[in-house]
Amino acid sequence: MPQNTTLNINGKDQAVSVEPDSMLIYALRNNLGLHGPRFGCGLGECGACTVVIDGEAIRSCITPVSTIGTSKITTLEGLGTVDNPHPLQKAFIQEQAAQCGYCINGMIMAAKALLDHTPHPSRDDIKEALDGNLCRCGTHMRIVRAIERAASQAE
Amino acid sequence: MKQNESGIGGAQLNRRGFLQASGGLVVAFSLFNATEIAVAEPAAGRSVASPPAGKLYAWLAVHPDNTATLFTGKVETGNGVLTALAQIAAEELDLPIDRLDVVMGTTSQTVDQGPSYGSMTVRYAGPQIRQAAAAGRQVLIDLAAKHFGVSSNQLVAREGTITILGSSDRSITYGKLVDGKRLDVDIGASGERFAMKVAPEARTKDPSTYTVVGKSVKRKDIPGKVTGEFTYVQDVKVDGMLHGRVVRPYGVESRLLSVDENGLKDIPGFVQVVRRENFLGVVAETEWGAIQAAEKLGSTLNPSGPDDGQAKWSNWNGLSPMDQIWDTLRQTAGINRSVASTGSVDIALASQSGGQVLKATYKTPFQMHGSIGPSCAIADVKSDRATLWSGTQMPHETRGDIAKILGIPLDDVELRWFEASGGYGRNGLDHSVADAAIMSQEVGRPVRVQWMRWDEHGWEPKGPPIVQDLLGIVDKDGNAIAWRHHMWVPTITDTHLIAPALIGKPDVTGITGTGATPVIRYVYTFDNTDVAVHDEGRVGLLTAWLRSPAQFETTFAMESFIDEMAVAAGQDPLAFRLAHIDDPRAIAVLKAAAEKYGWVSRPAGGKKLQGAGKPVQGRGIAWVNRDDVRVATIADVTVDPASGQIKVGRVVVAHDCGLVVNPDGLRNQVEGNVIQSLSRTLHEEVTFDRAHVTSRDWEGYPILRFSDIPDSIDVVLVNNTPQYPSYGAGEPATNPTAAVISNAVFDAVGVRLRQTPFRPERVKAAMG
Ligand code: FES
Ligand code: FES
Repeated sequence: MPQNTTLNINGKDQAVSVEPDSMLIYALRNNLGLHGPRFGCGLGECGACTVVIDGEAIRSCITPVSTIGTSKITTLEGLGTVDNPHPLQKAFIQEQAAQCGYCINGMIMAAKALLDHTPHPSRDDIKEALDGNLCRCGTHMRIVRAIERAASQAE
Repeated sequence: MKQNESGIGGAQLNRRGFLQASGGLVVAFSLFNATEIAVAEPAAGRSVASPPAGKLYAWLAVHPDNTATLFTGKVETGNGVLTALAQIAAEELDLPIDRLDVVMGTTSQTVDQGPSYGSMTVRYAGPQIRQAAAAGRQVLIDLAAKHFGVSSNQLVAREGTITILGSSDRSITYGKLVDGKRLDVDIGASGERFAMKVAPEARTKDPSTYTVVGKSVKRKDIPGKVTGEFTYVQDVKVDGMLHGRVVRPYGVESRLLSVDENGLKDIPGFVQVVRRENFLGVVAETEWGAIQAAEKLGSTLNPSGPDDGQAKWSNWNGLSPMDQIWDTLRQTAGINRSVASTGSVDIALASQSGGQVLKATYKTPFQMHGSIGPSCAIADVKSDRATLWSGTQMPHETRGDIAKILGIPLDDVELRWFEASGGYGRNGLDHSVADAAIMSQEVGRPVRVQWMRWDEHGWEPKGPPIVQDLLGIVDKDGNAIAWRHHMWVPTITDTHLIAPALIGKPDVTGITGTGATPVIRYVYTFDNTDVAVHDEGRVGLLTAWLRSPAQFETTFAMESFIDEMAVAAGQDPLAFRLAHIDDPRAIAVLKAAAEKYGWVSRPAGGKKLQGAGKPVQGRGIAWVNRDDVRVATIADVTVDPASGQIKVGRVVVAHDCGLVVNPDGLRNQVEGNVIQSLSRTLHEEVTFDRAHVTSRDWEGYPILRFSDIPDSIDVVLVNNTPQYPSYGAGEPATNPTAAVISNAVFDAVGVRLRQTPFRPERVKAAMG
């Protein structure tokens, strides 16, 4: 049965009523209207649903709501907006690093976790950090360039 | 250009009112945020027929705030056509492109310009939109002439404002001129879809004066897509909507024997099972509830058999064994078509002596579209009308299909289009609309259906397997004198929908055939030629066009076998090709790629390996003429003999699609094509047992990852001049890749790979 739970999302506590064993992605998308995280596979295999939880890139499609507790969740919406984009989002726009864009949430959130740990990654670091994120449109070259651009602009 | 009696009159609506009146449908970068997109039920009685193509308002609306909306029946699938079409319209309209929104696909608001496939959007819809926009500009000029009481040729339009020549203080914006009215002006249109001619009398600009077309304008959709503000079809929420999941048969043609509903009622939010013949689905108030209910009935990643879940299926095992699929294909091919025939290959064979006769067979497997987001649709079916929300690449056709399935007149069905995850052909998107429609009809509420990953991998229509036999003769002086290329290509235009077949109405929609799809463009000039297609074979799984349908595969065989001929002749593969081509645009792309790459003439290596040595490098070249676009690709590879791993280094692509609308957008497409086709070349093969597809997730169907990407992809644009029209660029650059890699591997290690994918085990086995 659904239970009331409080989740800390993008710096705010938010109450949701969901089943504790349901996956976080559905709470974010359906209960809270956060569409940044996208459903791709539901199996932890593609990365489209990635959010950052306490600094780590986590797949919300295989993360039950009951395991989150007081952890701090950041979604794509927590980074920036069209009017005020985060440096990573700005770099993706500058490099035009999207085609259909469905995978891009995962790419940016994985990159966010990477850059928070490793502000100046090598190209191989970037490829390694994103290796579990699938893009079917083949936007990979631009995604790598966008992350390099964001990193080079960081202090 | 005549204005009709009502002038531009009609309902006075501001922009927001206009959009609401038209169903609240907005594209994602527009004024509304995602929560506002929740759309109320369509006003009963409101017409949902498509607008008449001969009216200006079918293409264009000008709003009081001096912005405008372009309406097009074409849709975005990630290729950037929204921005490209907006550039074409903005150019003719003399309106800044950031003041032009685009509404795509929604059937009540757009003209059917044909499906968005086959790289045909810019090529065919571009000119239609260009004419409509030019007509629009003329209408605005005429309005201004009336407003100022001057003649039209005293006026100049710039950036959305019309000014009297020589008196810059006398000007008026488009928005003020139109004053919130509908542009109810006859502009004329004839013909249908791709062949439609719009506003034939409108005078368009001289391409040499273009300032927006030809610029790398930033794509309109990308800011929303990188911030989560964009609304994909998967994000659409409709008031009162239930969540549905399908439970597909265990075997492709299994019959549904029984459904045990035990325990379903205990699932929070569960509403009901939908069962019609072999169609099975569940609906629930929550997505999680629907997923759990479907799982109980047997919708899981790896069901163990036809009675694994609470739904029991008949034991169907009608697929051919996986390794015999190409024999099945040869045996079932029904139609033989000659593509090219010159001289006589048989006489050349009989009369040649001392030359080399080469023979080879090339095989390619089932591959899938593999959209990252699974197919999703919403349907709200009432007794006498239906509203559909879909990301289909063919909104107007899908609307018609669903009307037939439901038995509702076409004019009472509306499809509201929202972009989906990239589709690359005909994936499951259309099928999910039928699923949603059937479930909504059953439960009497709007139903959102999203396929699970295994539904998508298992049931999306596949790009079909193809087998090809080639024969070539090189005479004793090293001249190529004969070429035979026979290909067995199954039905690739099978547009039957899954759900109607399951409810026992298999033929209410869809056709099976290859249609007019060109599967090869034969391009060489040998004296004796026999190129033929053996069409219409049946391969068991539903098939549909996958990016550059069949031509990706036929180019693989043709361009690899040309290399085999060059090796037999002892010649440089580029020089050998150039000697047997007379198409100037082909020669131009081959030379441009070679120049950029720094090609040094030498025969392909074919070095014999000395044991399991160090990684070896090679280079490969291939080209294609796909729908009048010429593409030549060169790549470096490194082959590790110990592992069989192929690593792609530098890639150079020379691309001639005529006048380029958006150079950076084109580069994005070319890079995407190269990477996706590399993935298809190196990794991808659908697996199946006798009952169903067994590669039902990304583990079973691996695609290219970041660790495999090339070091670089250089794109050279050839013939990018107004002398040529803008041919489409959505898929041509896919074609050469498999041959390029096969040729480069031969150059490196001397083994010829004739079957994709070139996975390490296969490469190692080939090296012996
Ligand atoms: S949707 Fe979560 S990893 Fe694919
Ligand atoms: S941009 Fe389409 S899947 Fe990555």
